[in-house]
This record gives sequence, C-alpha cells and structure tokens, in this order.
Amino acid sequence: MGILKSKKYYLTFLLPGLCFYLFSVFYPILESLRLSMYQWNGIKDWKFIGIQNYEVLYRDRVFWIAVINNLKYLAIVVGMQVFIGLLVAIMLTGIGKSRNLIKTLYYIPSIITTIAISQLFRSIYSIEPMGLLNILAVKLSQGQLVKPWLSDIHTVLPAVSIPEGWRFIGLYMVIFYSALIALSNDVIEAGRIDGANQLQLLLYIKIPMIIPVIRMSLIMCLTGALRGFDIPFLLTNGGPGYFSELTTTYMYKKAFSSLQFGYGSSIAVFIVLESFIVVWLINLLYRNNQVEE
Amino acid sequence: MSRKVRVSIALLAAIMLLGLFSGCSSAVVSMASTATESSSAETNSTVDNTTKKEVTWLASRPVDGAIDLTVREIAKKYTEEVDPNFSLKIETTTDRTSYLQKLRTLIAGGNMPDIIDIDADPYCQELVNQGLLVDVKKYLKDEGLYDQFKPVALAYQEFTDGTMYTLPLEYHVEMTWYNKEIFSKYNLTAPKTMNEFMSTCKTLKDNGIIPISVDGVDKWPVMRYLAMLPFRATGNEYIINVRDGKASLKEQTGMDGINFLADVGQYFNEGFASTDYVTALNLFLDGKSAMYYMGDWEQGSMLDHYQSGKVDYFYLPMTNNAKTAANEFCMNSGIGMAFNTKTFDANTRGFINYLIKNYGVPYAKRNQMSPMKIELPKDIQFSDLYLRIENDMANSGTNFLKPWDTYLDPDSLSVMNDNMILVAMGQMKPEDFADLMDTTIANNVAK
Repeated sequence: MGILKSKKYYLTFLLPGLCFYLFSVFYPILESLRLSMYQWNGIKDWKFIGIQNYEVLYRDRVFWIAVINNLKYLAIVVGMQVFIGLLVAIMLTGIGKSRNLIKTLYYIPSIITTIAISQLFRSIYSIEPMGLLNILAVKLSQGQLVKPWLSDIHTVLPAVSIPEGWRFIGLYMVIFYSALIALSNDVIEAGRIDGANQLQLLLYIKIPMIIPVIRMSLIMCLTGALRGFDIPFLLTNGGPGYFSELTTTYMYKKAFSSLQFGYGSSIAVFIVLESFIVVWLINLLYRNNQVEE
Repeated sequence: MSRKVRVSIALLAAIMLLGLFSGCSSAVVSMASTATESSSAETNSTVDNTTKKEVTWLASRPVDGAIDLTVREIAKKYTEEVDPNFSLKIETTTDRTSYLQKLRTLIAGGNMPDIIDIDADPYCQELVNQGLLVDVKKYLKDEGLYDQFKPVALAYQEFTDGTMYTLPLEYHVEMTWYNKEIFSKYNLTAPKTMNEFMSTCKTLKDNGIIPISVDGVDKWPVMRYLAMLPFRATGNEYIINVRDGKASLKEQTGMDGINFLADVGQYFNEGFASTDYVTALNLFLDGKSAMYYMGDWEQGSMLDHYQSGKVDYFYLPMTNNAKTAANEFCMNSGIGMAFNTKTFDANTRGFINYLIKNYGVPYAKRNQMSPMKIELPKDIQFSDLYLRIENDMANSGTNFLKPWDTYLDPDSLSVMNDNMILVAMGQMKPEDFADLMDTTIANNVAK
C-alpha cells in the first residue's frame, strides 16, 4: 500500500503511456509542422519553401469551404452527441426497469466499426434501390421528399454528419448518466424541501452541478468533430464537388491523392491550431462563468 | 519495499515497453531482410534455385477476377515445374483510389513492393525519373517477347515519348450497351452520330426512362464523357497539349467536351454522383436504364440478355469533321504491371518470362481478350458476343481514346474528378470549370 502513496510509482506507470503518446501524437504533429515548410511529392527530394504553403492556404477557396463545412458538421455532431446524450441520460435517471437494456442499446453503435456504419447509412440514404429514408419519404410525403441524399448538394453535408452524431450518443449518455447518479442526494433533497419541482431541480441544481463533466465532454466532442474524417470519407469523399468536403478529407486528398505532402501538412497544422483555440475558448467561457458566480 | 514487489513492478514495466516497441522492431527486421535480399539480388546474375524467393505483387485487380486467377494459376505451375523455391505473394486492394493512396504511401516511405500496378501517368513518369522502374520495352525486346503482344495493347502502355515501363495483362474495348426492347418501344436505333445520341437520350427522358446509368463513385465513367468530343476532334493530341499546358480548356475543343458533359449529365440517373459500379450495372440489367457505358469485361453479365436479343452495343458515335474514324474509340490494356529495379533479379525475370509465354490462353479461356497474340483455344466454346467483340478489336483503327486520368498529374486529376461531377449535375458552369482546370494545370506544370 506504500506504492499508492508514492508519486514515484505513479510516474513509473504513467511513463509508458506518456512515451507512446509523445511518439504517436506529439512527434507527428512536430513533423507535420516541419513538413509544412517544404514541398514534397513523395518521390523527389524535399524542397524548403518557408511559409509558402500557408500563403496558398490563405487564398485557397476550397480550403475555406471545407472550414465552413467543418463548422456545420461540428454543430450537428456536437448537437447530437452532447445534447441528445444529456437528454437521454436525464430520461434514464427517471426510469426504473429496463434501464440497463436501454443503456446497452444506445451504447452499441459506438462499438460498431466505421465501415459497417457507413454501409448502413449508404443503404438508408439510397435512392436506387430505395433505402429506408426514401421509403419513409414516399409514405409521409407522397414522394415529394424522395431524393438522393448523398448526391443532393443541399442534403449531403447533414447526411454525412448525422451518422457520426448518432454513433456516439451512447458514449456521452453513459458519461452524463454516471455524473447525474453520483450527485449528492442532500443537495437535491434540500432543493425539494425549498419547493423546487422536477424541472427546476434539473435546470438549477443537477445540471449546474455537472458543468465540469459537460465541459470535458464538450472539449472531447468538439476536438473529435474538428478531426472528423472516416464516415464522410467513406460515404462521399467530400463530394459531390466540395459540398461535403471537411478540412480532414481535404488534407487527405491533398497529401495522398494530389501528392502535395507539404501542403497537406499545413492543413494538418491548421486543424491542430483550431483544436487548441476551441479548447482555450471553452476554458475561457468556464472561467468567466465561475467568476460571475 | 519487498524484493517480490520490486520484481513484479520491473516485469510489468518491461511488458508494457515490449508492447510499445514490438511494432517498431518487426518493421526494422523486415527492412533489414529486404535490404539483404536486394543486395544479394544485385550480385546474382543467374537463377538461384536454392534459396527461398518470395516476390510480392501489390495488385489492383479484382480478387478472383480473370487476371488474379490466371496469374495465380501460372505462379503455381511455375513453382511446381520450374522453381520450387519461388512463390508469388499477391496483396490486393481493388478500390483503385485506395490502392493508389496505399502505393504512393509505401513508395514515399521507401517501401516499394517488387511488382506494382500502375498506369503510364505523370506519377509513373516520376518513378521512372528516379530510376525505380524497369524499362519493360527494353526487357521485352531483349527477351524476344515484344512481338508476342498486340500493338494497341503495347501502345496504350507507352508514354508520349514512346518509352514503356508497364506490362499489359488485359485488353479491352469500351462501348455503350443498350436495351433493345426499350429502344424499339420508342422507335429508336443505335445512334451513329453524337446528335443522334443526344436526340435518343431526350426521347427516352421525355418518356420517363432513365437514359443512361453511370457509376459516379468511381469517377472515370463520368470522365469518359468529357473526353469523347475532344477525341473525335483531335485524337489524343488535345489532351496531351492540355497536360503540357500548351492548350486551354477554354478553346473550342475543350469547351465542346465540357458542354457535352453538362448536356449529357441531365440524362444520367438521379443521384449518379453516389451511384457505385454495381448499382449502375444493375440499373441497366434490371431494365431501369436504357444505356450503360462500360467495357467488354462486363460481357459475362450481358451475355444472357445479348443472346436473348434484349441487349446490344454501339461504339463511340461520330461527329462532323471528326479526325478519328468510326472504328476508333476507347481501347486500352488497362493498368499495367511494373517492376522494381532494385528487386527485378534473374529469379523474378525468369518468372515473368514464364508468365508472358503462358498467360494468353488461360486468360482467354476465362472469356477475356488477351493482350498477347494467341490462337483461341479449341477446347472451349467462345460465345458469339466474345467473337464479335474480338473481331471489332482486331479491325479497329490505330487511334484509341486514352483515358484522361492517365495523362493528368495527380493534383489536376483530383480537381477534375471533384468538379466535373458538378458540371454534369448542372451545379457548375462549363466556363468556370474550364477556368479552374486551366489555373490548376498551369500551377502544376510550373512545379
């Protein structure tokens, strides 16, 4: 039991994980920063070009389309994962029987492989043969709403965002549910005694008490959404045109299809900086809220 | 702390570190063994039948497709009859885009496989410039195998300067398959000119029929429509000039091609941008679309309908003042097989010689067009459809439409792939597409 008191042993066991993180995440980020100063097509020698890639990036119309698309993607994914996750967690606390079954069913999508989810939604969105969504559209709108959801330029971006949002609702539901059931009963009882109804208890006591958990979840969700890639890539690869292009799919295309590894690296650096800014903004918001209190 | 606890901690830490480094060490070992193989290959000038030799082919051919099966069959025979120490390992990625990304990543990491599949495109030219690929034309001539191939099959694999670094393993022609029942219902016949073709499409659409089903996911079927009018006007001369930055897409030839794509795009099936290969084919086979542009490799799917008189085909229609003849259209010998100069030793060369000499007949037996000159085997019955297509190919002209994706540099190709879909959907003006492509190509030519 002396081990648990000594910081030396904590560090010893944390060290391998930290080394792995530095090697697999931190070092590639530094390498991307270095490669972004070069022009390289994967075959010829690296050619140093300074900040030229960033100058091109600034003027690249498609890149900025991808950034805006990413923000829309982010709004849908965060909206689904955090807010629906929280809603489901709150509802779960209110039911007695079947709670575990519902938790499991909601959680299952987060353990299914990306390929399977992409194929599932490709089939759902399909117009030929008609998928689930279009079959419903025929029944509910006499065919008015039948469309090729992955080819229509107005629907393709939400269409590729929704599978990612749906996929991890269960994960955030579990996080929020654990936070809600860990709340001290004394505080909730005190609120009840003061005359608060269920809605007031939820809005003024329970949710404020789990703000740190919501903050962490938002950070995880936002940074994940900024790096979202696999499902949009598999479903449409950014198409048609650039209507579902995200910064990550554009970065991948530029590096591995266009063979502009330097330029692709500059987009990667942008994504890292974007993630830092988002985390900083959330922490700023949290600190401001705390100061007001 | 007790000795037992200290030992347990050390053991746990060692296990964790082992897991961390095991991936790296296996990579180091394989790189070292590859280096050893390469250096020993350079010193050997004769076939070495004593050491185990595994050759890896990074392939982009359908698994259990005709090429895959034929090569495996021949490799097995070679191991049994010629060199028991030889074995061929085939690693396949059938999705061409994913294959190319994997190939380029491997090459960028200095891990080019022994044998690869690659088109004679600008990326292949880069590999040639770096001395990474074997001169296949020289190799075939040195081995006396050059004249065993059909001229168009070889010509397709050449760069514009006449050099050749890729070996053809297939031989194809592309046509528009059409549904005869739908056509006769609306008194239509196979169009001979582009004007007739567009008129046919309009009639079909006006009558609620999907005129053409297209696989937009794979991009190349859409790019073919873009290339059609420029090929009729100039052969491949125009696209070669565009590639070299000597011609603009805003010239008449280019704008004719782009406008044609914009016009014909309205006759593609709804949602074609996300329609995959199999769905497009099934739309046609199920009688939901009237026309389907695809190559002879689908003759197996078409055979029953062809023999019952439901399906036929026509080649690229003509235009006024066409420079290319009616018997000149898209013929190709597909993606070629290329060899790593570092590992193309006597053992590999021996196998490839054997492959070329023994490939044509078993490949043809699988109802495919052989790129080698062969006598059709008498022990199997070739269908009327096969024999007719074979005759068409034997009587084609010297010009053939070479796909634009083999001419353009990777970045220009990527931009064209993304934006031509919008042109076909009516979401991008032809002039804007031409401007964008001119700028992109000019930037890439300058690099």
